[in-house]
Amino acid sequence: MDQHIIAVIDIGSSAIRMVVAEVADNGSWRTLERAIKPLSLGRDVFLRGYLRNDAIRDAIRILDGFRELLAGWQIEPASVRVIATAAIREAKNRDAFVDRVSVQTGFSIDVVEGIEENHLTYVAVQHAISQLRPQFSRSSAAILEVGGGTTEIMLLSRGRMVGAHSLRIGTLRIAQNLQSPIGQPDYDRIEEYLRENIRVNKRVLDAELPLDRIKHFVAVGGDARVAAKHVGRKEADMFSVIERHDFDRFLAELTQRSLDEAVAELSLTYSEAEGLAPALMTYKMFLDVTSATQLIVPDVSIREGVFLSVASGRQTPLQRDFSRQVVNSAIGLGRKFHFDEAHARHVATLATSLFDQTVDIHGMDERARVLLEVAGFVHDIGNYIRSSGHHKHGQYIVENSEIFGLSRNDIRIVGNVVRYHRRSSPNSAHAGYVSLTRDERTLVLKLCALVRVADSLDRSHTQRIKSAEVERREEDLVIRCEHAGDISTEQFALKTKGRMFTEVFGYEVIAL
Amino acid sequence: MSARYVNRELSWIAFNERVLTEAENPQVPLLERLKFLSIVSTNFDEFFMVRVAGLWSQVRSGASASCPTGMSPREQLSQVLAAVRRLDQRRYRVYRDELLPALAKHGIRHTKASDWTAQQRLFLRSHFSEQIFPLLTPLRIGAERSGDSVGNLLLHVAFQLDGPEPGFAMVRVPQSLDRIVYLPNDDQDAVCFAFLEEVIIEHAAALFPGYSIGEAGVFRVTRDADFAVDEERDDFVEAMTQVVETRDRSNVVRLNVNAGSHAIRSRLVELFELDDERVFETPDPLEMKHLMALSAIDGYAELRDEPWPAQSSAFVDEDEPVWDSVRRRDVMLYHPYERFDPVVRLIQEAADDPSTLAVKMTLYRTSGDSPIIAALERAAHNGVQVTAFVELKARFDEQRNIGWARRLEQAGVIVAYGIAGLKVHAKALLVVRRSATNGVERIVHVGTGNYHDKTARLYTDIGLLTMSPKISHEAALFFNAITGHSVIPQLETLIMAPTAMKTRVLDLIARETARAKSQAPASITAKINSLADTDVIDALYQASQAGVRIELNIRGICMLLPGVPGLSENIQVVSVIDRYLEHARVFVFGNGGNPEVYIASADWMQRNLEKRVELMTPIEDPQIRRRIQKDLRLFFSDTSKAHHMQPDGSWQRADGEPSVRSQYEQYQRLASRVPGSKTESRHEFKVRRKPPVH
Repeated sequence: MDQHIIAVIDIGSSAIRMVVAEVADNGSWRTLERAIKPLSLGRDVFLRGYLRNDAIRDAIRILDGFRELLAGWQIEPASVRVIATAAIREAKNRDAFVDRVSVQTGFSIDVVEGIEENHLTYVAVQHAISQLRPQFSRSSAAILEVGGGTTEIMLLSRGRMVGAHSLRIGTLRIAQNLQSPIGQPDYDRIEEYLRENIRVNKRVLDAELPLDRIKHFVAVGGDARVAAKHVGRKEADMFSVIERHDFDRFLAELTQRSLDEAVAELSLTYSEAEGLAPALMTYKMFLDVTSATQLIVPDVSIREGVFLSVASGRQTPLQRDFSRQVVNSAIGLGRKFHFDEAHARHVATLATSLFDQTVDIHGMDERARVLLEVAGFVHDIGNYIRSSGHHKHGQYIVENSEIFGLSRNDIRIVGNVVRYHRRSSPNSAHAGYVSLTRDERTLVLKLCALVRVADSLDRSHTQRIKSAEVERREEDLVIRCEHAGDISTEQFALKTKGRMFTEVFGYEVIAL
Repeated sequence: MSARYVNRELSWIAFNERVLTEAENPQVPLLERLKFLSIVSTNFDEFFMVRVAGLWSQVRSGASASCPTGMSPREQLSQVLAAVRRLDQRRYRVYRDELLPALAKHGIRHTKASDWTAQQRLFLRSHFSEQIFPLLTPLRIGAERSGDSVGNLLLHVAFQLDGPEPGFAMVRVPQSLDRIVYLPNDDQDAVCFAFLEEVIIEHAAALFPGYSIGEAGVFRVTRDADFAVDEERDDFVEAMTQVVETRDRSNVVRLNVNAGSHAIRSRLVELFELDDERVFETPDPLEMKHLMALSAIDGYAELRDEPWPAQSSAFVDEDEPVWDSVRRRDVMLYHPYERFDPVVRLIQEAADDPSTLAVKMTLYRTSGDSPIIAALERAAHNGVQVTAFVELKARFDEQRNIGWARRLEQAGVIVAYGIAGLKVHAKALLVVRRSATNGVERIVHVGTGNYHDKTARLYTDIGLLTMSPKISHEAALFFNAITGHSVIPQLETLIMAPTAMKTRVLDLIARETARAKSQAPASITAKINSLADTDVIDALYQASQAGVRIELNIRGICMLLPGVPGLSENIQVVSVIDRYLEHARVFVFGNGGNPEVYIASADWMQRNLEKRVELMTPIEDPQIRRRIQKDLRLFFSDTSKAHHMQPDGSWQRADGEPSVRSQYEQYQRLASRVPGSKTESRHEFKVRRKPPVH
């Protein structure tokens, strides 16, 4: 079996971490090396908005050290996936930082969006707790990761992703907002602050999934792992379980201790100890509104998620599951805005079916297929506001929502596909379209062409065309429909809506 | 209250007394006795530089009791100095009354100046004028001159001069010349020698023309070396160099001067501003270090130990790469009974193997011409990433280490020069390679002794070669931490000081204690160089009181009192002093019949457990665990070279029939292995053929 060595560096809010692993073609991997250097980039950013010069210098020094380690694996900086999360994301001088790092160390930093972090975490968690999947598919679950800058939360109903959010709640922000002048942190104030911040979000989450129905509570992150190490039990190779009462007691005892005691007794660094209680309080705050009796703590992080997404071939089960969750999240969004689910599902199905049958014509990849399916599901979502101009309302809704697994760019592409699934084609006066890159614009056009055809094929919203088989005849693309009843409405719609397909791919579309 | 601990310094002196008994032991071959004498003498040099100097500075600063026995620094110092003087007398008595006459009987004669023949005088005259004289710089000891120019541990000769301006002068005995000067003689079967300083004294007239020489006397000062480098400085290598230089100008803690040179003695006392406690009137030869060189004289096999040739490990096949042997199973190497070769060969093979990615190792003490350094240089040259962690703070080896560390750097090796505030004493080597067939593979060597091919022939040490995934993964994390690339990791298999080792040792002792309390069999066997951590000692006392059977094989310092009723009656302490310096550190915890065995780089001393980076490694291979336990048993059955510590802290030499000499038994054990056993673990033939040509 072919194996390769992959390195991932994660520039987080309180440390820079590196993992080197040997990855096999089937997506399995073996960790070869880890390194962690604490550096509190988040503290500056969350307080003052930008990275201080000496912090940047420290970061570069650390990355230089990592470069030395990587040389031992014969890995060039350019081939390392370097991700940066909240601290860098929110820094006003992030572009300067990314550039300096690139020039001085050769590493090119990929600043990931909050929602993309979600995706990576999810992938890692799925891997770690794969043996629990049957249980997850029968009930509701929440995955929560409390970080320095953000808290990622995902809600799953019977294994389906119904909501994914990146909340601006993090241990460093707490420390920043509630810094007590001397000595002991004021846990009452922290609790109040958290309660206030979480209440706002809880309503949104409850709409996606009644939180009290959640049976499985997955706590991701270093702080959860500290708790697991002391009061949890290792249930499997890659995760531990903490009973809820043990967790509560651990937290209660922790808040009775001074930081110095916590440092000594739990063998932590000072900065680890400082963030521990606020992080655990955040978990508890969410845990308390669920009916979970234990916390599942996977022994993975965003870095393993990167491995899995980099390493796993396109068609691993994990990747398929992930795509499914992206679509589930889109469906969740649609339901929130009372979409015509049967129509949406039908358009999505027809569109992907057409996609699969015309790969040699459009040449798009798996990722585009996921975006197409998502767009198929949400193309009419704007009807929630008003039927007239619903493509524009739809774009607005999509671009201001979070869909699990999609980056900001992905969301913009889907938004544009929604925008152009009917009426006018894009033109240079449309700012939202022009702001896309050339490749993205092409992608939008191709996806729109397919969505328009699929949408036409269910013009009557009655799903009378059960399936569509594509046949190519010289300049024509003939769609043979298996249908019940009259499809003249659909054929007529296709005459207008099929035009974009002709413009983009050169084939005339005919439905028979 | 009766005593609970033994004073550390006195226990150290007792160890040297045990070494001295080997010099006094008529059963020991003559030239070996000379070696033991030399070893004791040099041991005391370091002892004065560090420990006695430390006591003096405690006395000066008025520090109160610094010792768990409750003795004040002043009391300790008085007892230490008295003991040193007692041992000095024994050293010179055995040299003068036993060794010299016995050597003469075998034709090795120390010939005094008064006995030199005309032929010898002729030889020495030209030897002096050609070889010695050009290297001598006579200095007048004027009233204004301070003693600062007299370097640490350098032998000098002082002269009382009569003439135009009477006074005193001195010359340094050149270090670059051999101190043993062999003299020509007519008797083919005899060897005559003199000491270099004797030759200088005899020809002193040439140094001071116009003066006549009154008294002449040899002297040497020992200076305080008990100070640390400034850890905060950025230019650490530079700072370390200064430490070495400072050592030559610091306070004098001991002046050795020839007995009988009264005028010179008082002049020197004045020069160095010394009180009587620091002055030691010492017979000739004032320095015994060079008796080691004399013991290495050609021939005289009958006056030496019979050779115990080092054996090749039965589990390392010399015809295949070390990797292949270790892939079959973990390999334990017991030096010097077994050769150090596989470790050196591992690095050499890595240097030439194109699939090697990286070599990382710690170097505490090694020799500049060591094949390890050469192999590291070659590996770096061949494009392997080589990282060497060089501990510059290895006391008295600083200068040497700076030298070859720079050489490594020039060869392209990444050199880390230490950690602020801690010495890295752990011995670990990690080789990483990646091949098409096996992917990434790692091999680790951890040991109880330094990567020093020379001491590996004199010190008993245990090394482990393993490809265990757990150990090799954690070794990688260990290296990342000590080279500053990562925080100190939480390790699950390896145990690291100063973070986890002491707690773990105490936990393991407590676990045995708990077993004993519940009436289950419990035992601890440990082999260490020194036991000086009172927390560990207290834990052992508790364990003993709970009924844990404790056997300790401690070569050097032991602050614990064994066999004291109500305190430590289940503890036995045995020290073995023989041909090889016992240096391995091994701990065995009974664990209710499923023993846990560890090897470590650390002793049970506060210094090791709290101020140093050390590694303690569990032995995973059950066969090696059994082998180590069996080997440890030997020390406790030794009736020849073992010394048993008594409840009052004194030591008694073991005797009894049949005579068992543990080091010899160990040698026999490995030497008498049936030759066929070498390939017992082979499963297939290794066929050599040329690669097919396409």
